[in-house]
Amino acid sequence: MVNWFYVPLQGILNGLLTGALYALIGMGMALIFGVMRIVNFAHGAFLMMGMYVTYVLFRATGVSPYYQFPLAGVLLFLVGYATYMGLLRPIRGQVDFMVILLTMGLTLILTDGAQLVFGADYHQINIPLLSKNIHIGSQISINAPWLVSFGIAMVLACALYWVVTQTMFGRAARAIAQNPYAAPLMGINVNRVQAIAFGIGSAAAGISGALLLPVFYLFPEVGNQFKLKSFVMVVLGGMGSIQGAAIAGLVLGVVESLTSLYWGNEWALAVDFVLFILVLSLKPSGIFGSQRA
Amino acid sequence: MRKWQLLIAAIFLLAALFVPLLALTDYTLQILFRVFLFAALGLAWNLIGGYTGQLSLGHAAYFGVGAYGLALFSKLGISPWASALLGVVLAMICAAMIGKVSFRLRGPYFALCTIAFAEVLRLVAKNLPNVTGGDVGVQVPLLFTHSTIRSFYWSGVLLTAFALALSAWIERSRFGYYLMAIREDQDTALSVGVNAARCKLWALLISAAITGLGGALYASIFLFIVPDQVLAMDISTEIAIVAMLGGAGTLIGPLVGSVVLESAAEIFKNVFKEAHLMIYGVLIVVVVLFMPEGIVGTIVRKLALFKKAPSAPFAAPGPVTAEEEAQRAAINK
Repeated sequence: MVNWFYVPLQGILNGLLTGALYALIGMGMALIFGVMRIVNFAHGAFLMMGMYVTYVLFRATGVSPYYQFPLAGVLLFLVGYATYMGLLRPIRGQVDFMVILLTMGLTLILTDGAQLVFGADYHQINIPLLSKNIHIGSQISINAPWLVSFGIAMVLACALYWVVTQTMFGRAARAIAQNPYAAPLMGINVNRVQAIAFGIGSAAAGISGALLLPVFYLFPEVGNQFKLKSFVMVVLGGMGSIQGAAIAGLVLGVVESLTSLYWGNEWALAVDFVLFILVLSLKPSGIFGSQRA
Repeated sequence: MRKWQLLIAAIFLLAALFVPLLALTDYTLQILFRVFLFAALGLAWNLIGGYTGQLSLGHAAYFGVGAYGLALFSKLGISPWASALLGVVLAMICAAMIGKVSFRLRGPYFALCTIAFAEVLRLVAKNLPNVTGGDVGVQVPLLFTHSTIRSFYWSGVLLTAFALALSAWIERSRFGYYLMAIREDQDTALSVGVNAARCKLWALLISAAITGLGGALYASIFLFIVPDQVLAMDISTEIAIVAMLGGAGTLIGPLVGSVVLESAAEIFKNVFKEAHLMIYGVLIVVVVLFMPEGIVGTIVRKLALFKKAPSAPFAAPGPVTAEEEAQRAAINK
């Protein structure tokens, strides 16, 4: 068949593959926002940390990031947990301002720390999988690493969804999201649940970083663009809605991919933000979520 | 306390006017210009972020529009100062549009929306090279041709003085009280007849005008601007951090914040080289954890403990007279 069919189809496919990673990043952010009503400006920095951790491990052991991403997850869970306990818990009840300011300060520390340790250079890793392409028919081709990361991200996204909807932790987290004053009266340990939620959210960012490493390049400020995108996803999905953020991630991936295809790569992020402003001004409760703004 | 704040600031600014008479290098003066520029920007931000409580993280939009206004209008053959003025008007028009959309949102939604607008402007400026010069940048005319650096420095001090005087006046005006009422509780303010939408918009317009002018000054001293420099999120956050560090919603907070932050940044740059942003981050975290009301806010609160206590609202209980005794007995019966 002709190009007008295959070219956009390839674009949509590429978008879905990227979108799965976005979804994982966005879900982490949405979990944190839902349970704590705070916007975590350090989300991108956590993703960057996940990338550097995986990079160092890959350099040291040569094991593909697709096997060792759980390590980044565990480490970032601990970092998130410690961040909540050490920095965020003491200022609970302060205005939003302060939380945003604090996470911005944390971002500066982490980003500059990375620059100090690893330098400002761009890094990239090379694994054999990168040169493999899977062809479907004569027109469509998929880069193997993207497919692997898509699969892992989707499994993890479903796992996260299961945790939030089915487990006792998830129930407690949703109770706090619904009413932070009534939840402790029902015997929920708000501090612990929030700390775990913050840890899981950070772990999602860290794992996304690990999965991004083979297909992306690495530099200290790499997290900034993903931070901005996760804001977009969280708003698009309805603030605090996990499944909303996941769908928003996939949609964002497709929108970006099609924008790059027809309009040029440089407009992709601009279209993200225009979408974001449109949703905020027309339907602030988000498109895919049910939570109210 | 307020009088003291004003007095200290006035003396400080007056003294600052004479600084160029000392034999300072152009580089030092440029740093000091930056201190006052960000003090003025912080004071402008304080109107909307401090007094009104609307956390704007997109002030780079007005800053950048002011900067690009100066560059692009003068490219059309308009004189530099007229271009700067047109840039300010353009920044206010932007503010009106951004405010129209974003003021319907509250809390974190508002903050994110302002970021989005600033980012859209940055990306548009980057991607329209025919209009803005794109990433290659665009040349900016000098606003002062005589004793350039000194003039820039003085204009920075004057802009700060103007912003401070305006804040002091607004703080004690009916308009200012409306703004603070909106910050404390928007719904209550609405219910007693404060037109919150209009007040917020005016506060933003004034804030954007000063910010736009600051952007034009900044662009002009650099002679050359690119979108990633004047429309960057770093500018937005630096403006907000200056004000919050000094104390959002206090009169001289942004001035103190700028002096502390910009001089700290400069010292760290020399001492810690590449790690200076890290120290900057540590400074922010420490202030949030230990001085959540900002430097000035915390000092004011601590000093308030030692204010003269107001005279007792009730008369101290004296000895009971026989008459009262009789009354009490009658009641208790």
